[in-house]
Amino acid sequence: MSEQSMTVQRSSVARQQAQVSTFAAFRATLRRDLLIALKRRNDLLNPLMFFLIVVSLFPLGVSSDPNELTRIAAGTVWVSALLASMLSLDNLFRADYEDGSLEQLLLSPQPLYFMVLAKNISHWLISGLPVVLLSPLLAYMLYLPADAYWTLLFTLLLGTPVLSLFGSIGVALTVGLGSRGLILAVIVLPLTMPVLIIGAKAVADVSLGLPLGMHYALLGAILAMSLSLAPLASAAALKISVN
Amino acid sequence: MWLWFSKLGSPKWFYDLSGKWLPWLVAFMVVTMTVGLLWALLFVPEDYQQSFTNRIFYVHVPVASISLAVFPLMAIAGAITLVWKMKLADMVAKCAAPIGVWFTGVALATGAIWGEPMWGTWWVWDARLTSMLLQFFLLIGVVALRSAIESPDAAARACALLSIVGAINVPIIKYSVEWWNTLHQPSTPLTMDSNSANGPEIWVPLLIMIAAVYCFFVISLILSTRNEILQRERRSQWVMDIIASERV
Repeated sequence: MSEQSMTVQRSSVARQQAQVSTFAAFRATLRRDLLIALKRRNDLLNPLMFFLIVVSLFPLGVSSDPNELTRIAAGTVWVSALLASMLSLDNLFRADYEDGSLEQLLLSPQPLYFMVLAKNISHWLISGLPVVLLSPLLAYMLYLPADAYWTLLFTLLLGTPVLSLFGSIGVALTVGLGSRGLILAVIVLPLTMPVLIIGAKAVADVSLGLPLGMHYALLGAILAMSLSLAPLASAAALKISVN
Repeated sequence: MWLWFSKLGSPKWFYDLSGKWLPWLVAFMVVTMTVGLLWALLFVPEDYQQSFTNRIFYVHVPVASISLAVFPLMAIAGAITLVWKMKLADMVAKCAAPIGVWFTGVALATGAIWGEPMWGTWWVWDARLTSMLLQFFLLIGVVALRSAIESPDAAARACALLSIVGAINVPIIKYSVEWWNTLHQPSTPLTMDSNSANGPEIWVPLLIMIAAVYCFFVISLILSTRNEILQRERRSQWVMDIIASERV
């Protein structure tokens, strides 16, 4: 067969596959990842338990004095959420890499951006959202003033997706490596620090009675930017590591 | 243009050219470094508040300003690696990362030494210090990623990507941290007025020192890039010729 006819055939095959719309593929990927997570309860529970345990280390390590705890409450919850998100990142691409479905994802004709975005969203729904929902309870245990609960909840709601999105870049870069737990943290943690700074500062400011609009605006801006750019970087990183 | 471009990407061409530049660069650095250091350490008038301790300024500022240039450099080299797959760009990026770690570390250390008598503490969680520390961590991340990936080609592209992501993040980190906490003095504008506290007798030696330290940075980068070239091209004929001629 001549090269030209091969190309023609290949492109017609590609066109047939492309009839699965991008949105349908996006939904299928999201659904598949959520389903897998629901079947493996440990993956669902472990980040949450980790979050709970790390937060309860602080009163033991620092002080159980309510005044002291009030001061560090916001930072503690934020740092623990960061670490919990970090720890659960490992699930993001590893299983798919090992059983080869990641390669299939890379070969699919739909834009990789949306596939990666679907995986990031499912990661956030599994590991980020439960942490956000649990945070008022922990805030109560750390004597955070009641008027700061909503601020903590909202900043976490805006901030934890960014942690998943940035983390995904790190995971994509290291997915092919044998031992990567620590290098992942070394790469990803510095990238996530602006979110931590703004989030913790917003909760600290609410108890001083300062306006919060700017914090939300900044977190929202970071979220919007990372939603549009981070999956691109992750997609490029996946192509680098899987080859 | 494209011929020039492909020539630029050839390691041999760079090796030959940088070999010709090196003596001049070293000579320039020795002269400016000597003049700048002597001037800064012996002749600059003492600050009326800081007495002689402000002389460390002439090391701290050049080193810090150059360490800020490392991330953009790595990001540009990374973009060239990703787009044109130019080997030389990756070699430069690979060598720039550890040098950047060193420069950032020295900037932090000299800052701490200066801060101890001035602010009364080695370290404060101030905006510039913190963003410098975070840049230090980001650079360490790039170096760690490079050493973790075995295949040189994959390592090159992965580090290129991480450098670009990091370079986008550096300004975000800088502004978020600045807005979070500021104690460090802002950069002072230069003036020609010799009566002012920042007259020419203060900043001329500073410019000389910046030139000297930049030159030092370029020399370190060239030397380690040449080393990298020899290692990666060790199977090519021209490198074997060089080795053969060294042995004689």
